[in-house]
Amino acid sequence: MPKHYRPAGKKKEGNAAKYVTRSQAVKYLQVSLPVFRKLCILKGVFPREPKKKVKGNHHSYYHLKDIMFLKHEPLLEKLRDMRAYEKKVKKAMSKKNRDLAERLLTRKPTYTLDMLIKERYPKFIDALRDLDDCLSMVHLFAALPAADRVVDGEKIPVSRVHNCRRLSHEWLAYISRSHKLRKTFISVKGIYYQAEVEGQKITWLTPHALQQVLPEVDYRVLLTFLEFYETLLAFVNFRLYHSINVKYPPILDPRLEALAADLYALSRYLDANGQSSSMSSEAITSSGSDQAESELRLAQFQQQLSSNEPGALMNLVEDAAREDEDDLETQQCKNLFKNLKFFLSREAPRESLLFIIPAFGGTVSWEGEGAPFEEFDQSITHQVVDRPSQGHKFLSREYIQPQWIYDCVNARIILPTEKYIVGCVPPPHLSPFVDNEAEGHVPEYAEAIERLKAAERKEVLPLPGMGKEDLDDPQSLLGIIDRAEAIEAAKRKQKMSMKEKVYHEELKLELEGAQYSAVRSDVDDRVAEADAASDLRQMAEDAANMSEVGMPRKKRKLLEAMKIGRQKKQDSINLIKKRKKRIDEARSSA
Amino acid sequence: MRSKTKENDSDKLKTEQAEKDVQKLKAKTVEEIAKRIEEAEAADESSEDSPFVSEFEDSDDESLTGDDGSVDESGSEKSELSGDEDAVQSSDDDNPVGSSDDKDTVEDNDHSSVSKGDGHDNLGVEDGIGGSDDSGAIVEESDSSEDEVAPRNTVGNVPLVWYRDEEHIGYDLSGKKIKKKEKKSKLDSFLARTDDSKSWRKIIDEYNDEEVELTKEEIGLIRRMVESKAPHADFDPYPSYVDWFDWDGAKHPLSNAPEPKRRFIPSKWEAKKVVKYVRAIRSGLIKLDDKPKEEPRFYALWDESSSADRQGLAYIPAPKPKLPGHDESYNPSLEYIPTQEEINSYQLMFEEDRPKFIPKQFTSLRSVPAYEKAVQETFDRCLDLYLCPRVHKKRINIDPESLKPKLPSRRDLKPYPTTCYLEYKGHKGPVMTISADSTGQWIASGSKDGTVRIWEVETCRCLQIWNIGETIQEVAWNPVPELPMLAVAAGHDVFILNTRCGSDEQQRKIEELLHVDPQAGADDSDTNVSIVDWGQDEAHGGIRLKHFKTVTKVEWHRKGDYLSTLMPSDILFHGHICSNCFSDNVIVGSKDGKLCWFDMDLSSRPYKVLRCHPKDITRVAYHRSYPLFASCSDDCTAYVFHGMVYSDLNQNPLIVPLEILRGHTSFDGRGVMDCKFHPRQPWLFTAGADSLIKLYCH
Repeated sequence: MPKHYRPAGKKKEGNAAKYVTRSQAVKYLQVSLPVFRKLCILKGVFPREPKKKVKGNHHSYYHLKDIMFLKHEPLLEKLRDMRAYEKKVKKAMSKKNRDLAERLLTRKPTYTLDMLIKERYPKFIDALRDLDDCLSMVHLFAALPAADRVVDGEKIPVSRVHNCRRLSHEWLAYISRSHKLRKTFISVKGIYYQAEVEGQKITWLTPHALQQVLPEVDYRVLLTFLEFYETLLAFVNFRLYHSINVKYPPILDPRLEALAADLYALSRYLDANGQSSSMSSEAITSSGSDQAESELRLAQFQQQLSSNEPGALMNLVEDAAREDEDDLETQQCKNLFKNLKFFLSREAPRESLLFIIPAFGGTVSWEGEGAPFEEFDQSITHQVVDRPSQGHKFLSREYIQPQWIYDCVNARIILPTEKYIVGCVPPPHLSPFVDNEAEGHVPEYAEAIERLKAAERKEVLPLPGMGKEDLDDPQSLLGIIDRAEAIEAAKRKQKMSMKEKVYHEELKLELEGAQYSAVRSDVDDRVAEADAASDLRQMAEDAANMSEVGMPRKKRKLLEAMKIGRQKKQDSINLIKKRKKRIDEARSSA
Repeated sequence: MRSKTKENDSDKLKTEQAEKDVQKLKAKTVEEIAKRIEEAEAADESSEDSPFVSEFEDSDDESLTGDDGSVDESGSEKSELSGDEDAVQSSDDDNPVGSSDDKDTVEDNDHSSVSKGDGHDNLGVEDGIGGSDDSGAIVEESDSSEDEVAPRNTVGNVPLVWYRDEEHIGYDLSGKKIKKKEKKSKLDSFLARTDDSKSWRKIIDEYNDEEVELTKEEIGLIRRMVESKAPHADFDPYPSYVDWFDWDGAKHPLSNAPEPKRRFIPSKWEAKKVVKYVRAIRSGLIKLDDKPKEEPRFYALWDESSSADRQGLAYIPAPKPKLPGHDESYNPSLEYIPTQEEINSYQLMFEEDRPKFIPKQFTSLRSVPAYEKAVQETFDRCLDLYLCPRVHKKRINIDPESLKPKLPSRRDLKPYPTTCYLEYKGHKGPVMTISADSTGQWIASGSKDGTVRIWEVETCRCLQIWNIGETIQEVAWNPVPELPMLAVAAGHDVFILNTRCGSDEQQRKIEELLHVDPQAGADDSDTNVSIVDWGQDEAHGGIRLKHFKTVTKVEWHRKGDYLSTLMPSDILFHGHICSNCFSDNVIVGSKDGKLCWFDMDLSSRPYKVLRCHPKDITRVAYHRSYPLFASCSDDCTAYVFHGMVYSDLNQNPLIVPLEILRGHTSFDGRGVMDCKFHPRQPWLFTAGADSLIKLYCH
């Protein structure tokens, strides 16, 4: 317990004084375990690992300072108030005092988490750093069905799901609008996206837009986390929107919103507002009382304007102005789909593609109401189709499977479309998060993409299998220096011993008085060569092991562990290579 | 106010005495009666005519209230009425009423006052409101007299204890003693009780010494009282209010007071209250609109001005979730998909080794189903975030090669034996031991086949063979170059052999030396007669020292004058003990394959432990002149080390493994049995269990 409350006989310092178990902490804070859990989640307090576990190994330990931190949290008092309030309501209800209950229900105590966010993430960059979990969770809840349902005794309110949808769309709209998306990956679990905001790589997972399975878990924990994440993401969005001079929260076109095209509505809003802020800032300031409506009207006005010539011109100017600010990668991303016009069939994953294509500079429309242009538009260059066969085809456009877009984005080039045509199995979709060289195995298609990229840059790459990996791998290079020496020495030694052998042989022969025969020595040479090969390996190994002899035990054990780890990794790569070989063989024989 | 009461008249009179009496009894009897009532309820016969004093308790208050009324209203009539009373009383005496006149009698208030004024304390049972006085004074009187009938006993309200020992219980009105009745025996009373079905409603009035039988009405009365209701059945405790006052017809106001002013002016306090509310509304303390206006919930939380330091303990960020690899793709490369056999083999693995995720290929994006573990995995992640202890752990990301100590270049440490130069073939069994001549020209070897051989080092020529016949444990050259003798330990014996390697002069000297007479031997070791037995060995041309146990080691003194032998469990000192050491450093090879370097000055613990051999170390050897030492082991290898000890005490000894010498093959589980350095050259001889001796040169 803290210093000034320490009873006589308790420890003053050391692990016994610094760390308390969870049950001790709960008792000290005089809260129930669920409240403690909630506090910990919101406050970001986690158990720590003391050097010496005074109470035993099966406890989780909290640092006393953390607990004191919780104790002085105003939220603790708020939570106590809420508990008292709940009791009051319950009491009124069970006494059938409806008036009191109703009056109480209008005065539910609330709390905000603003200060907690500020406290946990003093700088904006800190918040961005920790945003991965937040985004994944918000996107997951956004994908949950928007119906009040009781799962495992805990209700997931519809309003939360709607809020999550809104927040996720806002985030996606920002990323798309500011062209910050870097990598995408369709996995079995969902679609991974990686964006780079203020130098921070933020990766999140959005589930496939399908009915989610809701298992039996403690949803109170999830909802508590979600509560914090929602607030955090809202503040982050606020900050990001203001960084591009857009008002937050955004006002959306209700027509598009009703059509569940929130993302498109948002991006339109962003586009409109982004321009208007610079163009007619007075207009915004002048719109006083019913700001919402006028804002909306303004947005639509801007939208119309941008399609006209002066508006487009303005757009161009602005783009040019901004291009200076953007780094090279953003430029590259922005111009990937620059002059392409996409059309999504209704079976293609609309939300994801609506996000990705504008993020890389393309224009996109979809099959359905509220779409910006129709399917028969002649200027469409690509149509995204995910069906076994396409009935009517326009000759002016290419029909591709959705994976093409994801692969293009990862490769940052426009890939040839013939492998992605309707009805065929597309080439393997590779993870952009893997460093193939470090991993040790480069999939075939990755090499193909690499060559295409090189062709784009007008470089010539060495053909595969030229021993490129040996030179590239820094680790093997390092090893070579050591090992080469050993091998060389061994070789020399071997040569010498061979010479000696030959010498003795000759000596013997001479003694016997036989003639020196070249043939015989040839045979000998060959035998010796084979011997030498095995001996050489042996010697190299010896030389490597030599220094291990005198190593202290601790280091030796570490070395062994590292070797085992490497071996495991190598084994898995070998397995993959073996499979690959087998597949190749089967293919060539077929 | 009084309500009318029903009464039964009987020979027992209703008097205040009786009342009191009953009151006294009550405590005892009421419960009893109540019980009895319950018992007999079912079997109750409707029997009337049981006399009883009707009033118990409430008569008290009623009489009291009656008293008050009487006091108020009439005082003048007292005297007359008292006369009345008297008359009544007398009449009572005259006709003890046997018949029950059960009728409602109505009395005036006067009567009750009479009874009061009469000096009889609180009594007034029979009263009523209003009613017909004309119904007959006699009846009335008789009735009232019945009420007022004094008890038979006139002793008054005295404790009955006073009469306990008397024959009488008191006096009647005429002053005669009232005799006590004969007491029934218990049996009789019991029988009477059982015979009489009405016995349960009988109680004994001790005051008058008689048995009283309660009537049905009285029982009902008692029951209601027990149930804490009003005693009378038709008493309504909550009568509906009847407003008798005729409001409309009143010509005049009830009060003559003028209307007060406050009825015409607005309330000051209300005004104050209103002002308070108005102020509260103005200042915004009270909001009148139902829904408070939506405040913008979000604002610029991270403004530049605020201090940006995290409070509390150092924050340990949670590790980010693992990024997906190629195998998690919906359409992975074919080589990432395990074959069916591999998937089957996962079942044989341990639960924790089993791969959590099995890659699978979907031919198109539309066929990808929802991931069923999405919520579960998110939940697990949440649990990790708030339940897992976090620690900073240093992950070493280095090349494992860098962990190995940097050794000085071996080129600088040359010369040392590196390659097998010569092989000495000839032994038929494992070569147990070798020894090099101090000149470096010869080596001697002893084998399991029982032979000792001497070889010329440079030509591999076997110079001489002795067949001892037993396994040779050890051979050792005399370190003195002038005396090329060989000590051989085999079985119980130690032989000292003449090698005939020296010049003639030396030969002579040796032969002289090796000639032993029995006496000399006895002289030499007179104390150890039982241990060592000296004798000439003619067969091999040397001396034979017979020990009583198997000798395993033999070693010469550096000067060649003495030698020591080792028998297991007992060491005999024939001079100095010799060990492998450089100055103060000792090298020990042990059977667990460890080679320990002890620095005697430093500590009793090894300065360095070299773990080079996986099998037993059979021998360690050091070089006399070069800073080299070697170990050989049953794993068929011999290690050569550089071991440099500096004269500067501050500098640690330098120990560098130099070379692993291979070449021997394993035989019968044994590898290299012995190793010895050449006395001058950096050469190493090794004796193998494969009956070969090898020479490794630089």
